[in-house]
Amino acid sequence: MKRIHKESLKEALKAWEEKYRVIAPRLTERDERIFDTFDEAWFTLDYAKPSLPLKHALFPQSEAVFQVDQGIYRSIIREEPALLFGIRSCDLKGMLQSLSFMSKDFDDRFYTLRAKNTAAIVMACPGQQSPTCFCTTTRSGPWADGGFDLQLYENGDSFLVEIGSSRGEDLASSELFEDASDPAAREKVTSFRRRAAQSIPLVPEIEQAMEKLRTTGAPDELWERFGMKCITCGGCSFVCPTCTCFNVSDRVLTEGSGERMRSWDACLYAGFTKEASGHNPRHSQALRIKRRHEHKLLYHGDRDTHGGLCTCVGCGRCSDYCPVHIGALEVARDMSAKIF
Amino acid sequence: MDSHPNIYQPFPVFIARTLPQISEHRLFQLKLEDGGTWERFGHQPGQFIEVSIFGKGEAPISISSPPTRPDVLEICVRRAGRLTGSLFELGKGSRLHVRGPYGRGFPVDKLKGRKLLLVAGGLGLAPLRSLLLYVLDRREEFKDLILMYGTNNPDNVLFKYELLSFFDRNDITYFYSVDRDQEGIWKQYVGVVTGLFDQAQLSPDDTCAVLCGPPVMYRFVLEKLLKLGFAKENIYMSLERMMKCGVGKCGHCAIGEKYCCMDGPVFNYTEIEHIKEAI
Repeated sequence: MKRIHKESLKEALKAWEEKYRVIAPRLTERDERIFDTFDEAWFTLDYAKPSLPLKHALFPQSEAVFQVDQGIYRSIIREEPALLFGIRSCDLKGMLQSLSFMSKDFDDRFYTLRAKNTAAIVMACPGQQSPTCFCTTTRSGPWADGGFDLQLYENGDSFLVEIGSSRGEDLASSELFEDASDPAAREKVTSFRRRAAQSIPLVPEIEQAMEKLRTTGAPDELWERFGMKCITCGGCSFVCPTCTCFNVSDRVLTEGSGERMRSWDACLYAGFTKEASGHNPRHSQALRIKRRHEHKLLYHGDRDTHGGLCTCVGCGRCSDYCPVHIGALEVARDMSAKIF
Repeated sequence: MDSHPNIYQPFPVFIARTLPQISEHRLFQLKLEDGGTWERFGHQPGQFIEVSIFGKGEAPISISSPPTRPDVLEICVRRAGRLTGSLFELGKGSRLHVRGPYGRGFPVDKLKGRKLLLVAGGLGLAPLRSLLLYVLDRREEFKDLILMYGTNNPDNVLFKYELLSFFDRNDITYFYSVDRDQEGIWKQYVGVVTGLFDQAQLSPDDTCAVLCGPPVMYRFVLEKLLKLGFAKENIYMSLERMMKCGVGKCGHCAIGEKYCCMDGPVFNYTEIEHIKEAI
């Protein structure tokens, strides 16, 4: 365990910048809190739950998987060390789950190389960041139990620093970090964790919904009701830390040259499963909503969950942003309501 | 140096020959650019490839030729979308790009030593032909072979000359049907493919059934097979989904907990009967 004073933090970030592209929370001119390239003037620690998970750091919204130059196909896999500062444990769990998926069977080098070259510094949540947080239910927070390089616990005018890897050891090796292996520091972390966990209420409906899907399944009527409401914006998938479905398209620059792109896609879209013949196995919005929620709550193996409850990591963003209230919380609560 | 390949990058091949089939359907024979055979490709009957034409995208296409005939790789394509539309503009000698082979094909090893009933509908014969020719090429490794093939009308029979050539063989029993025969030229059964079951002598106890056809066909054929006493574990079928990446990542072909491109496209009936949306 180490300790760093809050006033030294920017110093540390600047030092890391020499080796890494540092992504950190910042304010915008319109007073939003986002993650972007570290900027000393706009850097903030007051960012609660950022609007978007850091999914795009490993899985950009759109990226080229190869280039075509006059008919010749060339791979473009770049390696660039990056450092994510301040990531929340739910979002890290999402990345770890996605890494398992992306490395399974065929290795998606775009994702796995980026994951390998990216350092993660988790900011443990001191409590519920918004009323939709339910990471204690999905076993993905409020602190990370692994998969990080460093984990910071706020402690007055300093942070206690838990080291999670040899890369983390290296990151915390400068004189800005003091030794804090005393029992008092460990006790501070223990009570921080206890307080944090107690402030995030359990949502028993999530496990009840999982049990329902495992046994009888949810009634068609429920999916039809949500299907009628869904406006097919796909927003729930784009803000989801574990949604990694993508579409493939060609960006033609000149005749015979350009890039093949893969870009975020969503299973909520009607064209997602449509085949060239016109046949569409998921032909209604009800079936597409069902797919999305069953994928999170039902269809996953142990490896996919990475120690979590399911492939929903309880960040609550789908409930935060869905314009018509079809987030994981609303669906699970509806499913476990006693009337069925 | 990164030793892992880019799983999304295809390699170049060229079209050795195009053979018109029926209206809007064409058989493409593909060859490797270095002149080698497809033996090192290592494909199994029932697997598929991703075909690319840069600028038009990529599409999953089933392999129609068996590994026992490795000189060319054959794909039977219906002109349906952007990629296949462009493919039809290409002729002999044209270059295109492919990736694969992908997916789990027909369980050839489990089928060996068994009686086989192959049921195809329409373009479903394209993937099933890779198994059909494989069995004919290694005929002694399999027992009785029955083929049932149905199309909507006599003009839409695929691989016509191959099907006709079976008239001269005594090691395959075949039943062909058309849904409609307005001109009255069809000499065989007129009606849906399930009607053929009443003509065939089947022994459900020791026969494996392999199905491939349009989505609507499965429900009716399955019903028929189960009624005849076929065990569920002896029924295999190849499913069609939008297999965009072919390597289990893009999510488009997911059916329940399965990915059609990885766990299929060939499934045993027992693997998918519990998944409502599968069939």
